[in-house]
Amino acid sequence: MRFEQVWFRYARRADWTLREVAATVEPGSTVVILGRNGAGKSTLLQLAAGVLRPGRGAIRGRPAIVGWVPERFPADQPFTAGDYLRRMAQLRGAPETAVGQWIERLLLTEHAGTRLTDLSKGTAQKVGLAQALLVPPGLLVLDEPWEGLDSVARTLIPDIVAEVTAAGGMVLVSDHRGEITALPGARHWTVADGTLHATSAPPAAPTEEDEVIVEVAVRRSEADQAVVALRASGHRVLGVRG
Amino acid sequence: MRPLVAMRIAGFVRGGRALAPLIAVLVELGIIYGGGASPAAVAYGYSAAALFPVIAWLTKLLLDAEPDVQRRLARLSIGPTREATAGVLAALVLSLAVCVAAMAAPWLFNGIDTRVNLGAGLALGVLAHLLAVPAAIAVGALASRAVTGSIRLGVTVLVVSAVLVVVLGLSGSIAPWLVPPVMATARALNGKYLPTADRLAFLTGWAALWCAAAFTGYGWLRRARS
Repeated sequence: MRFEQVWFRYARRADWTLREVAATVEPGSTVVILGRNGAGKSTLLQLAAGVLRPGRGAIRGRPAIVGWVPERFPADQPFTAGDYLRRMAQLRGAPETAVGQWIERLLLTEHAGTRLTDLSKGTAQKVGLAQALLVPPGLLVLDEPWEGLDSVARTLIPDIVAEVTAAGGMVLVSDHRGEITALPGARHWTVADGTLHATSAPPAAPTEEDEVIVEVAVRRSEADQAVVALRASGHRVLGVRG
Repeated sequence: MRPLVAMRIAGFVRGGRALAPLIAVLVELGIIYGGGASPAAVAYGYSAAALFPVIAWLTKLLLDAEPDVQRRLARLSIGPTREATAGVLAALVLSLAVCVAAMAAPWLFNGIDTRVNLGAGLALGVLAHLLAVPAAIAVGALASRAVTGSIRLGVTVLVVSAVLVVVLGLSGSIAPWLVPPVMATARALNGKYLPTADRLAFLTGWAALWCAAAFTGYGWLRRARS
């Protein structure tokens, strides 16, 4: 997928939000979009997904099936989580079994009968993630997917990203808190002052021979902080139990 | 596209936004048929004209009920043309249900004078509603948030359009072709004699051309402003 000199602004007389964006995303690759709040990461991701249209330039080679996880899931809808996902599955032509599969995998079973408006931010975000994955996407666009997610759900996202890329799909994911720099094999783009810069890749992921597995028990109430702290120290968190 | 039509209707009805236009329809029908029996053509001509702004409002409420981000998700799922068409079809389904209720209502209150041209009056009534509904949906769609971008501008478009349909539709108007033939149809059905086939064909062609222009504009604006 190629960004060919893409410019974008939200209104005809407004300043350009993005200027002269030129980049390529290869099949099977992951790109992490970095940048401060308001830099234009969400705009770039929405252009990539096809939600927004460039003011100038073009985006070519976008896969037919795009899964988009918006920054804020639109929870103001009079459906339960399960009903919403079933309707989205019908809309996207996904099999009914895909709904149950993603409800189970994203630990949404106990929330399937809860109205979207009553879900916590993190649970609503999981519903947003599930709808994007009902049909295996050729392009998965994740806009701050870690926002509000609990530690267990956070560990699922690298696995999901890996599955999409292993199937030849592309993944674009934004992160303003630097939580996901450890995604293995990911390229990094930084959005600043309306322009896009490819930044240096993070250190190569350690091989299995370099690593040992240390099992750590932490208080349940401190699990989130512990996972974040371990990741920030460059360690890989393989899972959270209990 | 059918799942999106069903999803939008369900979201509109379950969210309670359908209640206000439903009350408006009941009030209008009470006013139209509360004063005694009229010939079918006359009663239904008024009914179609009176329902025009309500159906336009209902369409705007229906399309605005869905959050902007959900509309974008739907567009990614089935494509921009089918997403926009599904909104119009959802409005059409609800509007036709309103028309059926409006045409059945006078029979509950003896509001139709069955001695005067009943069969022709019924047929003309169906035609009058069928001419009014697509135009009303087009106005509501053009006033929707997806096109106007703001609630204030959307309400302005809706109110100004409804007023212009009446004002420019009056007999002797300087530019009657700027608006759909809602008032012209009501006048044709309220005449001393039933309208001729030529007159009906003219009104139908006028409505079809107006709706084609309005929906083309809606499609262009949706494409440009998404």
